Amino acid sequence: MSLQDTSTSTSSHRKTVMILAVVAVAMLGLGFASKPLYDTFCKVTGYAGTTRVATVKSTTVLEREITVRFDANTRDDLAWTFKPEVVSMKVKIGQNVLAFYTAKNDSSVAVVGTASYNVTPIKSAPYFSKLECFCFTEQRLEPGEEVRMPVLFFVDPLMVEDKRLDEIKTITLSYTFHNVENPGEGAYTQEDREKRLKDIQSVDLSQ
Amino acid sequence: MSNSHDHKPGFFARWFFSTNHKDIGTLYLIFGILSGLIGGYLSFMMRLELMEPGFQVFDNPHTFNMYVSMHGLLMIFFLVMPALIGGFGNWFVPLMIGAPDMAFPRLNNLSFWLLPTALICLLISMFIPGNPSGDGFAGSWVMYPPLSTSGHSGPAFDFVIIGLLAAGFSSIFGAINFITTIFNMRAPGMTMHKMPLFAWSVLVTAWLLLLALPVLAAALFMLFFDRNAGTGFFDAAKGGDPEMFQHLFWFFGHPEVYIMVLPAFGIISHIISTFSRKPIFGYLGMAYAMVSIGVVGFIVWAHHMYTVGMDVDLKAYFLAATLIIAVPTGIKIFSWLATMWGGSLSFSIPMQWALAFIFLFVVGGVTGVALANAGYDAAVHDTYFVVAHFHYVLSMGAVFGIFAGFTYWFGKMSGYLYNKYLAAAHFWFFFIGVNLVFFPQHFLGMQGMPRRYVDYPAEFAFYNKISTLGAMVTLVGVLFFLLWLAEAFIVKRKAADNYWGEGANTLEWTLPSPPPFHQFNTLPRIK
Repeated sequence: MSLQDTSTSTSSHRKTVMILAVVAVAMLGLGFASKPLYDTFCKVTGYAGTTRVATVKSTTVLEREITVRFDANTRDDLAWTFKPEVVSMKVKIGQNVLAFYTAKNDSSVAVVGTASYNVTPIKSAPYFSKLECFCFTEQRLEPGEEVRMPVLFFVDPLMVEDKRLDEIKTITLSYTFHNVENPGEGAYTQEDREKRLKDIQSVDLSQ
Repeated sequence: MSNSHDHKPGFFARWFFSTNHKDIGTLYLIFGILSGLIGGYLSFMMRLELMEPGFQVFDNPHTFNMYVSMHGLLMIFFLVMPALIGGFGNWFVPLMIGAPDMAFPRLNNLSFWLLPTALICLLISMFIPGNPSGDGFAGSWVMYPPLSTSGHSGPAFDFVIIGLLAAGFSSIFGAINFITTIFNMRAPGMTMHKMPLFAWSVLVTAWLLLLALPVLAAALFMLFFDRNAGTGFFDAAKGGDPEMFQHLFWFFGHPEVYIMVLPAFGIISHIISTFSRKPIFGYLGMAYAMVSIGVVGFIVWAHHMYTVGMDVDLKAYFLAATLIIAVPTGIKIFSWLATMWGGSLSFSIPMQWALAFIFLFVVGGVTGVALANAGYDAAVHDTYFVVAHFHYVLSMGAVFGIFAGFTYWFGKMSGYLYNKYLAAAHFWFFFIGVNLVFFPQHFLGMQGMPRRYVDYPAEFAFYNKISTLGAMVTLVGVLFFLLWLAEAFIVKRKAADNYWGEGANTLEWTLPSPPPFHQFNTLPRIK
């Protein structure tokens, strides 16, 4: 054996190093992929209080009642007054409920805002289904404009089958409005909001 | 083997273009000592500030938190990792497995020289604007957004990101080098199951580096883009999620704590075996305990994040998974005790460090088991109890492992013996000092004193004063360290090939002290 042997092992070195480099690059890629993976995971599981988006209204209503509380926040850099029309309401599980928030642009320029949201207790999130929400799109408010914004939701009747959620009597729905620095084309104006609200109200919400 | 082959290049070529694993190891150790002194200075200033309630040293809370942040980053990335992995790993993995050098000597050179570059970036960051409150980055080593994005508008944190990316890639290259060396370059007869435990510990550490650091790199890139390219990975206003950064960070951060302590486990095993004059008890169990610590280390990360508001079932999972780590760790502790049992013990300096390591690591491990419980953690989260816990496992675990290894191998590396009285003074001042610093912090934490504050109410004054006095005792210990180091190089007492005697039986002890520039021209054969 001599130093010459290292040259014969070059090919096995190359193989090892290729595998290790692939592992490192794969982990780097996974790090970046975690963003879409995490979003998908939250949407699918309701993890971190991510609410469900429902496409069809609830058809069964149960007797059990839940108090839904409405919470509203704005970030420091957004000069809006944002609050729920009612602070809380009692709803039946499975009942389709239309609630409203109001927002007023206190600044002298048109501002586009977008709302992030979650519900607590976190474990109730998979059963909190939104049919329609102002948080699905960006909202444009003209200077001084005050608007009503709808959220149409129901508490999924499947919730009663989950024993862990038997203790839940109150669910808090929370929104935080953020300033959008570079708004896209799709920001809702008052015209869009009125049209959308008509669509919602034309739907028969009774079960 | 003829020494005519032992040609050394000139000073500049030898130390700046070095491709020799022993020289690079030496560079890593020198680098680790220097960064350790800077990081130690930062922590000493913090302790002076906290000696009394009110403001003593700092007039700006931002600057205090900047010291806290830089202390953490320097000690982790620029002291513990370079010393244990780059320093001892480079020096002794090739020697122990009977290899002439590392698999990729020039990549090794790149790994090292990325580190001073990284350190310079971090040091520069301390003197340029962090945010309107002051210079430098004050968002702690965890770098959570939004404090690290919109909370630090100045360029300081960009320098931190660039520095950490450089250090991260240095470690990834080093990991690739170590794994290739250990898999492909073991001497004939040196099977994996005959490989010394230190080589095993570096192998497991290298895998952790390879799997964890790219994730940190991805998180740092995303922070950099959020700050400078208008992306919103961690910005709720743009559909991102700041909590995702915490998941990414701790997916790296938890394996990172094992990265820091596993090589110390390897060193301690050799020292306990040497000074008990017995082979290590349960060799295979020791090796696979490290492997299982490494594997389980990847599935427990969210126990650092119990208070983010996660589901109770998820907490239960992370709690149980975390407690499982106590099993392989216990195997290691009990195997060390069993190695000493009935052994012919000698309490030389490295053995003192190793015994202190076991004692202190167990203290930190016990508080770790306490903190794994999500209910208890909620009460002491981000208090000094946590600070005490992780300093017992790191500043006393990993750092005692470094000093144990340094006093064990110093003669082998330098060719000189140190003065054992000076070295004993170093040990005792350091041991008493760090215990005085950190033991009272358990009490402060349980009383509710939060981390990362420049000031505190008078109720916390007593234990803070003891803690700062401990820092002064520790400083004396550090001075004795520098003293014995200087004395050994001035007096130049020659070290024999195997100055620890028959207990030391790994391959590095078959070579002269210091080993020739190129060793194992004829590969050793292992029975």
